[in-house]
Amino acid sequence: MFGRREPRPAQQAPGEALRLENVRRVYGAEGNQVVALDGVSLSLPVGSFTAVMGPSGSGKSTLLQCAAGLDRPSGGRVFVDGAELTGDGEAALTRFRRQRIGFVFQQFNLLPTLNVMQNVVLPLKLAGRRVDKARARAVLERVGLGARLGHLPSELSGGQQQRVAIARALVTEPRVLFADEPTGALDTRSARDVLGLLQESVRMFGQTVVMVTHDPVAAAHANAVLYLADGRIVGHQTAPTAEAVAERMTHLADEVERQRTMAGA
Amino acid sequence: MFGLAMRSLRKRASAFTASFLSMFLGSAIIMAFASMLDTASAGGATGPAEETLSTMAIVVGGWGLLLVVFAVTSTLTLSVRQRAAEMALLKSVGATPGQLSRMIVGEAAGLAVAAALLGIVPGMLLGRGLLGLLHDTGQVPGDIGYSFGSAGLSMGVGVTLVSAVAAALISARRATRVRVAESMAAAATDRAKLGRKRIVFAVVFLFLALDEAIVTVTVMDGEGSNAMMTSGQADIFAAIGLALLAPAIVRRVTALLARPLRALGGPSGDLAISTMRNRTGALASAVSPVILFVGIAVGTVYLQATENAAMDAAGLTKSAEDKSIETLNFVVTGMVVLFAAIMLVNTLIAATAHRRREFGQTRLAGATPRQVLGAVAVESVVLTVTGVVCGTVASVFTIVPFGLARRDSATPDGSVWIYVAVVALAAVLTGATACGTTRRTIRVPAVEAALR
Repeated sequence: MFGRREPRPAQQAPGEALRLENVRRVYGAEGNQVVALDGVSLSLPVGSFTAVMGPSGSGKSTLLQCAAGLDRPSGGRVFVDGAELTGDGEAALTRFRRQRIGFVFQQFNLLPTLNVMQNVVLPLKLAGRRVDKARARAVLERVGLGARLGHLPSELSGGQQQRVAIARALVTEPRVLFADEPTGALDTRSARDVLGLLQESVRMFGQTVVMVTHDPVAAAHANAVLYLADGRIVGHQTAPTAEAVAERMTHLADEVERQRTMAGA
Repeated sequence: MFGLAMRSLRKRASAFTASFLSMFLGSAIIMAFASMLDTASAGGATGPAEETLSTMAIVVGGWGLLLVVFAVTSTLTLSVRQRAAEMALLKSVGATPGQLSRMIVGEAAGLAVAAALLGIVPGMLLGRGLLGLLHDTGQVPGDIGYSFGSAGLSMGVGVTLVSAVAAALISARRATRVRVAESMAAAATDRAKLGRKRIVFAVVFLFLALDEAIVTVTVMDGEGSNAMMTSGQADIFAAIGLALLAPAIVRRVTALLARPLRALGGPSGDLAISTMRNRTGALASAVSPVILFVGIAVGTVYLQATENAAMDAAGLTKSAEDKSIETLNFVVTGMVVLFAAIMLVNTLIAATAHRRREFGQTRLAGATPRQVLGAVAVESVVLTVTGVVCGTVASVFTIVPFGLARRDSATPDGSVWIYVAVVALAAVLTGATACGTTRRTIRVPAVEAALR
């Protein structure tokens, strides 16, 4: 069960970045429970770029939050880079996350009071790691913001803010980078830039990326797509194209609807 | 708009707690003292007794007006500022600045009427207690009974309503002047520069303080207790002047303390310093009540201690007038300290709760709850130190001139422990409020706080 430390190292495949074993997440009190994740198991190799798709309420964000140590599963186990996520309180979870995990959110979540450079080096400072300003600057140049180091988030466009968030996530060299609808608040052009950056980090630096999205165009940037419906993984697709993803999503919605009416009948 | 104001009051009562509390306490205190006028006329008081009663009513009523305006403006401005998103929304659906002002003023007026009505009974009880005090010290003959009538009621309700509306007009002016897009950006950071008007007012108040100090040491030298008349307000003027300059002072102090705090505070200290540099406006509004609190409390208490020592040295016993001045000194100080404490606690609670999202984001960036608390603790230390230093400077404007005029000594009488106690109270209020609110704010999971 979640929360227990296992003495033996997990029997993991070589080069495995993320593994979920029968992860369940149940919300609500006894008698009025909602099952958000219903026994999800998956294994993602190092250097993979996976999109998680599914209709609203399918459990996409819950899956990401459980895998990233932001939420505690009700059951099952989560391994990041071979280390099990054990829930010994908020501080322990924070330390686990900052050693292995990077995040990018739809709403950027940059600290409004810190400038671009301060935002990017913040995770290093909080973790008590050496702050390599030159490296941080290099990462910011990579995302195209080398000239904006002293700006506050409120002085940047949405696309620029999201690129700062990506730089902040990459600077700690996380084992897995989780992105929750990273293009959800962006125009198409900024969205393409952001997806290109994620792709580049996978191709050139072997970064592992897991991205939740509902946009087939965004999902097409990934190497593989996982389909989620009613808290379960219901499909898998490699080398996706936007058309193929959209097609599948259309039928997925029909499928779920059919299952619902059958269950209701 | 009035309908909207009433609805907003009903549906969101907790957001107005601090404004309501200031109005309620203000109305109760003012009614208690104003009822001394009723007591004087109903009891047929004459001579010194009548003078004592009416002085009590007028002095405290005047101070009360000033304090309630100040406290309500500060609490109301804060609650209006926190509704920046709602204001922007109202503007975007077509509300004019005039309509928004009417809504804010309507809310304040509704609140003031409720506060004043609820303040009547506590005001009567307080007034009865006050008269009892005056009986006991022999300042008013025992056969004059307590009476609460038109003067108490009209002054209490009037002062509360007028000060609430005045305060609402001031906060509404500030809130509605900003454009829609700006108001959203301004909510995140504020490195507000000192406005020209603010600087002018600050200089005027500091000059007033200096003037009172100079008059005390020159004209009032050797005039005995009368020196209190000029030196008594000097600390208040100086404290208000310094409070107006607080944004600039906070900026300097933060820059000055940046290096030592970064070295000593670790990641939390570093985070606190970087954050404070872009939040000087919010910090300044928290420093102001600390300055008022320390400046006025220290100034008045030592003023009275020096006066008492001077009386003892001259071998005089206190007359009824001396006693009533002493009572007044302590009552006014008590009121100021009470209101400053409410403002301080309110400002800190509101400002800290407002940072829920920021704390969530900091935690997502890898801060443990302890590191977030640590950063807030560092901020509280900076706040307290700044407030105490400025407050002490303000109190000097009263203590030193009065000491020179009354006893030819710049150092005041009275135990150093009074000072220690005032400083400790300021530190505890600041630290406990900020850290307590932060602790409650970070109890929610980080994602939830950051995303919602």
